[in-house]
Formats: sequence, structure tokens, C-alpha cells
Amino acid sequence: MARLMESNPFVEVATHFFLEDLADKVGIQGLNNYLIGLAKTLANHMPEEEWRDWKEFLEAMRAGDTMLSAFEDVVALTDCCMVTRHSPFERGWREYVKRVGSFSPAHKKVAEFYNKNVKPTAVNSLHIILQTFRAAAAPRVKVAGKSVRYAQIATVWPDGQRMVASDAERPELLKKAGISETKLRMLLRDNAEVWILWTEK
Amino acid sequence: MLDVALVSLINDLSEKAGADGVIQFWQRVGENLASRMGKEAYLGWPSFNVAVREGRTAFSIEGETVTLTDMAIMDVDGDVVGYLYALKQCVFLPTILRVRYTSGDLPRADREVAQEYNDSHHDIAICNFCVFHERFREEVAKNITVSSQPLNCLLLATRGFTGETKISTKNLQKIGINPEHVRALLRNYECVYALEMRGARLKEGD
Repeated sequence: MARLMESNPFVEVATHFFLEDLADKVGIQGLNNYLIGLAKTLANHMPEEEWRDWKEFLEAMRAGDTMLSAFEDVVALTDCCMVTRHSPFERGWREYVKRVGSFSPAHKKVAEFYNKNVKPTAVNSLHIILQTFRAAAAPRVKVAGKSVRYAQIATVWPDGQRMVASDAERPELLKKAGISETKLRMLLRDNAEVWILWTEK
Repeated sequence: MLDVALVSLINDLSEKAGADGVIQFWQRVGENLASRMGKEAYLGWPSFNVAVREGRTAFSIEGETVTLTDMAIMDVDGDVVGYLYALKQCVFLPTILRVRYTSGDLPRADREVAQEYNDSHHDIAICNFCVFHERFREEVAKNITVSSQPLNCLLLATRGFTGETKISTKNLQKIGINPEHVRALLRNYECVYALEMRGARLKEGD
């Protein structure tokens, strides 16, 4: 797959407006369902993958050769802990605030709905797409014959807003990631996403 | 990834609301985006064209725009009342390639929406995004004044990823430019449009 060329931010801004128009029509809950369905459809359209072992898979992650890193630059901090340096949505959002103005409240409201009803790791609508996509794409990737599993630990938006997995879930997730709470806070200073991938033993 | 997801969204929407529904949706989104971008005023064409070059106009959201200063539009008195502008690359092209390298090919809905638009509105679309794009530009033009005159945008020609071209004879006629001039421009550019002062008395083409 290799690194994809970057999209034109205009298309992303148009998509934001598309989603805002959709929110007016179907409401916040409807938009949430739509975003989830959209991300699942996208993941299901991408060809399944198989990798010989975890080492080969991690190399593919770094090179952008797997669907799980096709849309973002991912650094594997440990065997299971993935860090996204810059949000894949940052360029589109910057173009939006530069050309149009402040982000529509619909993007925040739908994230609040998602955080309350699904899991508390989305800052705005775009994270619903990204995190649902990863969750739907991971089982389509096999490493040494086993399906990959995914969980989100934390999300940070360019303006500094952050959402972290709940206190109840976090210790287990950090253990799987192989990092401490302190290390997580350090990562959140200058990265966009911290997430984990693993296969069952 | 938002752009690649958009392609799935169009497909889904087309199945639910039909190609005509997608066209209405896109046109509304184009109007909303243009209205959120606000009004602009320029003293004259030189200052507007400098703003285009520096990426300061609402049109600049599309990316790098080339002002074709050798293609001025004249009114019946011989005064310059507009220019042709062009994009080297269609704004949707990177998305087409990103879809190609991630999930395969563009869904059928992309072609269906463009075809429906060509049949029922204006025979100029080479992909579904042209539908949004044309309405967006028309609305943006209304919000920009040059020498206190609001502008009018006319989409003239497009070239698609597979080499297919569309030339709007209807719009070319309005500004008195020969289709052969625009055909030559399509070798270098993928989208050509005109901005002219609204209400200008133009010399129509043959």
C-alpha cells in the first residue's frame, strides 16, 4: 500500500459540512449511528491481510503497508503500544478553522453521545470514524493466523482537548501496552493518539 | 481518511436517496459552506488576482489557483470585466487515488451522480464532487465584489482522471470564448472557470 498521497483539505472541509447537514436531518444520535456504519463499511471494503509474525506486522505498520496504518503515521512504541504523532484529521480541521471559522458544535455533541454510550475516547465526530474503523479493521488483519484486536487508550486534539479511557479500563490497557500511567501522560504532550493492538495468546 | 470515508458515504446516500438526492444534498452543502465563508471586497482586478495568487480568497480553499491573465473577459466597450482561472489538479484526484490504493475502485455511485447531474443540470461533471464544487463556486462568487461589483462564476471545462473532458459550450458562449481555446487549456489544467462581474454587458460568442 505504501504511503498514500495527502488528500486535498477542501474535500475534508466539504465532508465536515456534509456531516453537519446530516446532523440537522437525523439528529445527534442518528449522526453517531451513521458515522459508526460509515467506518465499518470502509473497513469492510478493504482487503483482508495476513502477516507471518508480529515483527513483520510491526514493520508493515511503520511503513503504512497495512490498513491499520494506511491513513496515519504510526510509531510502535512497544510491541503492542501504537502512537499516532499527528491526527489524520488535523489538516482538514486547520483548513476549516482558517477558512470557515469555529468548528460546528455538532462535531462535539456527537462525540459526547459516543463517549457516554460507546466508550469515552472521542474528542469529536472524526474520532468516532477513526476508532470504529480501527475496531472493524483489526479483525480483518491476521498475524500468525490470529486476528488482531484493538483498544483505544487516549485521544488528543490539536487544541489540547483530550479523552482518556475510563479509570476502570485504563490499568488493564496500560498493562497490555507495556507503558506506565506516567509514560502515557508524557505521550499525550505531543502525540495525537495512543492505542493498542494485540492477538490472544 | 475522511475523504475515503466520504466516498462510502456517497455510495450509501445514493442507495438511500438516489442520485438526485445526492445532488440536492451536495448543492445544499455547497451553499452552506460558501455562506459560512463570508463576504470579500477588492478594489479592482489586480488586487483580487494578487489575493488569488497569495491564497487569500474564499476560492483558495480549493488549493493553488492559477489566474490566466492572458484570458481576460471584455465587455462590449472593451473593458476587462473578468478572467479565466484554473486548477492544475482536480481537488478530488488525490481522493480517487487514495480510494484506489486502499479499498479498490470508486463506487458506481460516483459515476451515477455525475451522469444524473450532466443529464439534468449542467453537462460538466466528471465526478460526484463536481456537483458540490460548481454550486460552491457560484455561491462564493456572489459574496465577492471587485470594484464594488459582485462576481458571477461560470464553470467552463473539466478533465477527469481517465482523460475524459467536458466543455460547457453554454457558458463559453456567454463570455465569448472559443471552445478550442479552452480545449488547449485542458492539456495543462483539470478545471477551468471564469469569474466575471455580475451584470456586465458581454460580447457573446458566435
